[in-house]
Amino acid sequence: MRSRNGNRPFVFSSLALISTLIHAADNYYIGYRLTTKNAQPIEEQFTVSKAMQPCTEYGNFILTLPRLSGATLETVLNLERSTFIEYAAEHELRLKSNETLSSATIQSLQTLTLPTRCYAVEFNDHSVTISLSK
Amino acid sequence: MRLSAALALLLSVSALQAGIFSTDESSDQKVKCVYSGTDGNCVEPILKAENELVITVTGQGVAPSVTASPAQAYALAKRAAMVDGYRLIAERVKGVQVEGQDTIKNMMLQQSSTKTSVEAIVRGANIMNTTFKEGLCEVEMEIALSYSRVLH
Repeated sequence: MRSRNGNRPFVFSSLALISTLIHAADNYYIGYRLTTKNAQPIEEQFTVSKAMQPCTEYGNFILTLPRLSGATLETVLNLERSTFIEYAAEHELRLKSNETLSSATIQSLQTLTLPTRCYAVEFNDHSVTISLSK
Repeated sequence: MRLSAALALLLSVSALQAGIFSTDESSDQKVKCVYSGTDGNCVEPILKAENELVITVTGQGVAPSVTASPAQAYALAKRAAMVDGYRLIAERVKGVQVEGQDTIKNMMLQQSSTKTSVEAIVRGANIMNTTFKEGLCEVEMEIALSYSRVLH
């Protein structure tokens, strides 16, 4: 267990990172929808759009993804899609499920939606740091 | 001496009547009902203020029959398994809406169908373990429910 004094550098570095994200990062709106039919994915849609107005109030929920030099956010998210979905889904997701049983056949249709939210994105040479707004 | 003994006896009797020496306090405590139901029975709350309720589910998913590579098949199967896991969590926590329909013609059953549906917002679920075997992906997921999580 860390002592109180031992936590200070960690807290200060977190605050520094968050303040850097607020002031220097770009803001993007990111949303995602996945539809599965009979336990197989049939449609997947990622929407990425640059925010026209800066978002405020970022939490300390930060994700760092590897990035090839010059790659856009869309490219990074396409390569690291699963990691990003797990990160964003932990915060909030919407689920809609319908199953129909008739004449010994079962059909299921499920839709998972990550609501479109504002993210602060900081591009580094070999990584991208993403922070979700509150 | 006799007077003091009689006085002590009198004091102890009155104290007992006032309930000062009463130790059976639990008999007066009643369980707080959260839902009395139609039969009027008292139901204790499942989620209590002092402890956490952990729900574990296993979602299953299959990759589409046509994929570009085994890696893509794994990724898609895992995603489908995640969706199934979230559905199971939603069903456990929120409940399932069930709708049945039977069509009877000339006293004979023509068609029977059952529909189940659930719609929910899930926060704070974690993937604990993932296995992929023979095209089937299984994802073990966990969600911890507590008052502090509900209120924030």
